[in-house]
Amino acid sequence: MSPNLLLAPILLPAALAVFFFLVPKRVRLVREILSVAGSLVLLYLAFALFEVKTLGLKIAWLGMGIDFDLRLFHFSSFILLGLAGFLFLISLYSTVKMKDNPRVREYYAYVFLSAALANGAVLSNNFVPLVFFWEGLLLTLYGLITIGGKEANRTAVKAFIISGFCDFAMILGIGLLWSITGTLTLSEISVKPEGLAAASFILMMIGAIGKAGAMPFHTWIPDAAIDAPVTFMAFMPAAFEKLLGIYLLARITLDLFQLEARTTMSIVLMSIGALTIVLAVLMALIQKDLKKLLSFHAVSQVGYMILGIGTGIPIGIAGGIFHMINHAMYKCGLFLSAGSVEHRAGTTELKKLGGLAREMPLTAAGFTVCALAISGVWPLNGFVSKEMVFRGALETGYKVFAVAAWVGAIFTFASFLKAGHSVFFGARSQDVPKVKESPSPLVIPILILALLCITFGVYNKLPLNEFIQPILAGHVEAGAHLDFTAHALSLLNPVAGISILCLIIALGLHLHGWNRAGKKAFLASEPIHNLPVLHNLYNLSEARFFDLYEQGVKFLIGLSTVLSRAVDRPIDYFFEKVVTAVGVKLTSLFQKAHNGQYANYLAWCLAGLLAIVGIVSLVVK
Amino acid sequence: MSIETITLLTVFLPIIGSLTIPAAGLLSKPLRSLWSVLLAAATAILPLTLIPFALTGGELVIRKDLFLGLDFILVVDPLSVFMAIVSSAVGCMIVIYSIGYIHHDENQNEYYLMVLLFIGSMMGLVFSANLVFMYLFWEIIAICCWRLIGFYRLRDFVRKADKAFLVTFFGAVVMLLGFIQIYGQTHSFDLTQMRGTLIPGSAVLLILFGLFSKSATVPLHTWLPDAGVAPTTVTALLHAAVLVKIGVYAYARLFLATFQIPPLWQQIIPIMAVVSSLVAAGAAAVENDFKRLLAYSTISQIGYIFLGFAVANEAGISGSLRFILMHGLAKAGLFLCAGIVIHATHTKDIREMGGLIKTMPLTAVSFLFCAFSVIGIPPFGGFFSKFLVIMGTVKAGQVWLAAVALFTAVLTMYYLLKAFSLVFLGEAKKPAPEKTVSMVTVVTVLAVASILAGIFVAYPMKLVNIATTQISWWYR
Repeated sequence: MSPNLLLAPILLPAALAVFFFLVPKRVRLVREILSVAGSLVLLYLAFALFEVKTLGLKIAWLGMGIDFDLRLFHFSSFILLGLAGFLFLISLYSTVKMKDNPRVREYYAYVFLSAALANGAVLSNNFVPLVFFWEGLLLTLYGLITIGGKEANRTAVKAFIISGFCDFAMILGIGLLWSITGTLTLSEISVKPEGLAAASFILMMIGAIGKAGAMPFHTWIPDAAIDAPVTFMAFMPAAFEKLLGIYLLARITLDLFQLEARTTMSIVLMSIGALTIVLAVLMALIQKDLKKLLSFHAVSQVGYMILGIGTGIPIGIAGGIFHMINHAMYKCGLFLSAGSVEHRAGTTELKKLGGLAREMPLTAAGFTVCALAISGVWPLNGFVSKEMVFRGALETGYKVFAVAAWVGAIFTFASFLKAGHSVFFGARSQDVPKVKESPSPLVIPILILALLCITFGVYNKLPLNEFIQPILAGHVEAGAHLDFTAHALSLLNPVAGISILCLIIALGLHLHGWNRAGKKAFLASEPIHNLPVLHNLYNLSEARFFDLYEQGVKFLIGLSTVLSRAVDRPIDYFFEKVVTAVGVKLTSLFQKAHNGQYANYLAWCLAGLLAIVGIVSLVVK
Repeated sequence: MSIETITLLTVFLPIIGSLTIPAAGLLSKPLRSLWSVLLAAATAILPLTLIPFALTGGELVIRKDLFLGLDFILVVDPLSVFMAIVSSAVGCMIVIYSIGYIHHDENQNEYYLMVLLFIGSMMGLVFSANLVFMYLFWEIIAICCWRLIGFYRLRDFVRKADKAFLVTFFGAVVMLLGFIQIYGQTHSFDLTQMRGTLIPGSAVLLILFGLFSKSATVPLHTWLPDAGVAPTTVTALLHAAVLVKIGVYAYARLFLATFQIPPLWQQIIPIMAVVSSLVAAGAAAVENDFKRLLAYSTISQIGYIFLGFAVANEAGISGSLRFILMHGLAKAGLFLCAGIVIHATHTKDIREMGGLIKTMPLTAVSFLFCAFSVIGIPPFGGFFSKFLVIMGTVKAGQVWLAAVALFTAVLTMYYLLKAFSLVFLGEAKKPAPEKTVSMVTVVTVLAVASILAGIFVAYPMKLVNIATTQISWWYR
């Protein structure tokens, strides 16, 4: 196969993006057909490339070891396949959901441009093209969020600056790595994270987990859930950014740096993961809006991936990567279901919804499957990958991380019981008039994703052997078993036992809250919301006290004011006032010296001449 | 035409041509404008024909013997050709834009005379390989600048023009002392013969006064924001394309391509550059006057250029050279967008604007594109320059400086997006349409050029890489 084919996943969507941008708004049919067909072609191409597995393309670019170097191997082809799949589903979904948006031209252009950039980032085997594509995604991120409406700009700027900060951290890390190893080619680098390399590791990790949306770089996601179009949420934070961020994180920990279990770096990663799981899920629990609730879960679930990869233990890493693809599927499905509800009911506020299952049975079914999957209910895919992460965490010996993961599981299920109960089940609300099921372009993607969740759970051997296992090949000590499938479905072991216990606790919590709130499902989380200390923390959090961005902007403004008032203005004062005052004083002195006496002037001239000769002779020695 | 003729024409066509502009203005106004554009266009096209020669990595010295060792020496090498192309191209754009911007004002003859003389002297400075002629062109530019900043003749404006002139003149005179000190050591003003000379730290300090004052680096920078009282075209010409690049160009010509500087200064200059960059970014973030904000942003970006040259490795130098190009395009675009907005809304305060994206969509998008390029977001051209400068800094072992520089980039992101949001988004307070076609065309072209320079980055990179190798002869 020709290596130039590697350019196709980048150039094809980019060309389509330009086309969508130029084509007038009213040419609807062409745009929709082309977007669905184009993404299908990409999907086919991704399958073809997945079959090929290894391919390389290297074009000289900027010199200094900076080449336009693309490399296809198992991991990148797998991610490519995932990206193309989600692009197809989103294109299909958007044909209905986005058709009346006034900026639909831009929307399609940004979506396909994102696909081009994401494909490029995944294929890059040199840091410079990697950063080029990676950071380019900032533009489409900004653009897509602003499509949400007038109020969205604030969130778009927030997302842009947070992601930009993470990208800059990554650039610094890349620079360090370059000066340590002397090369920019990814496949040639493998160092131990010690000394300067440890700093580089941390910085690059910030880039990766920042893209994936881990704490504390997540705060724009809940804001975007309200401001941005729901298709954007399903497309970027739920699917694309998770795939990219976790892909890079896995590359960093597996290839670029030799992360070993039970080292400081491993514990740092696991701590970030555990904190993200627990804090974000606690925020998710109390949300009153379906989209916002989902967005906090998009953050919380990243924690499992980071925790899994951070363990440095094969089963944990495999679990983290498997969780990435699983999460992309069910979270995309969940956002799309939320979009479907929004499409018909016109709102996603839990209070106003209720009992929609009868009128929207397919959406409800899709939502239920995805919600059970994210909660880790046997035998869906979330159960399998979470089990693997639990086991990995336990195997490191630091049981606290496994406990954190289990705590996360309790509240995940509790919040989805609340969400599902409020929207689809329970009493039919009076706030929403009678609705019917959404049109098929909205329902089909949801059902496809739900089906995939079941398949990847029940037949987990298939994805584990086909996709996940080869990624780890070469990273496990010789002789170590690489079969993660043996226990994955077994319910009869202590780890699975604890997980199931967690689910039962969650059910209990939900029923308790539901009863306390007078059978109002959307208030089922209130008992936890009102716990003594937690309540205050929740209030602070709602006031954005823990929002790194809000605090960071305050810091930037403060610093700028200090720099301006304490450095810039005093310097200007010196030029404006001190220099001029001294000038006036000096000239008045000279004025007095000019008293009209000839001898006086002569003396001045002679002295000046002497001074000039003296200086010149001193300087020109 | 031989290379020598082309070079001499590049320098003297605009200089002598500029003197004919008042005469043309006596005949007819449109003729004068056309003649000015023609001169600027010719000046922009001539250096392009030098590219094939420059790509061979060659160096041509043109020497006209004069008295007292003050020979008129021009050097044609990749560095000077690159710089001449960038500044004359942006200069030409600005002359075209001027037709729309300036045509209501008085003293247009003087305006075009000064602008063309400015561009011509810039060409002279770029090609000069004699310290004395370098100084000469340096001061001609300062005089043009002085007349142009005070173009509107208001009392306060003239005072600000005086301030700019006095600060840069003071710097230049101190620099001249440095030149004299070098003459005392080598008995020559001829740069081509002094290659590799180690100059004393005191001479470096004296020359730095000149470079920093012209390139508006902290602490000699405050004249630049004040110079915003000039017509926007002039601000763009001064800030973006030409004037502030003189200092950095001279740095590359003197301290990289010619002299060796003491190791201590190699440590100090990067720190000064980063501090300047940070302070200016902070000042920009609290500024509400549209042009002053952009001026501070320029000071901040100039810091990066100095940083890349000062760390003196391959990545840093090529990043800085590329920065000169990318920043020239993007910042000229930003200023000219600001010009359109100010022209239409009659205010300079960004808090009084808003919602302009509805009435001037092209300007808004161009502004955003140029802002992205200045921030350093791919695929815009500015990404590569900033990225390479940072890489070079890290590679030189200055990790903390690189971290501060990246922090400054976050600050840049903050204030440019803030400016964009305030000016173009939100509620329309003073809706005003885009007016002149020539003005909007120029900003669009600059914005598109910024993105093309990023996507097809490999093409300018060839010349930049050859220039880098040629400058860093001591590195080989």
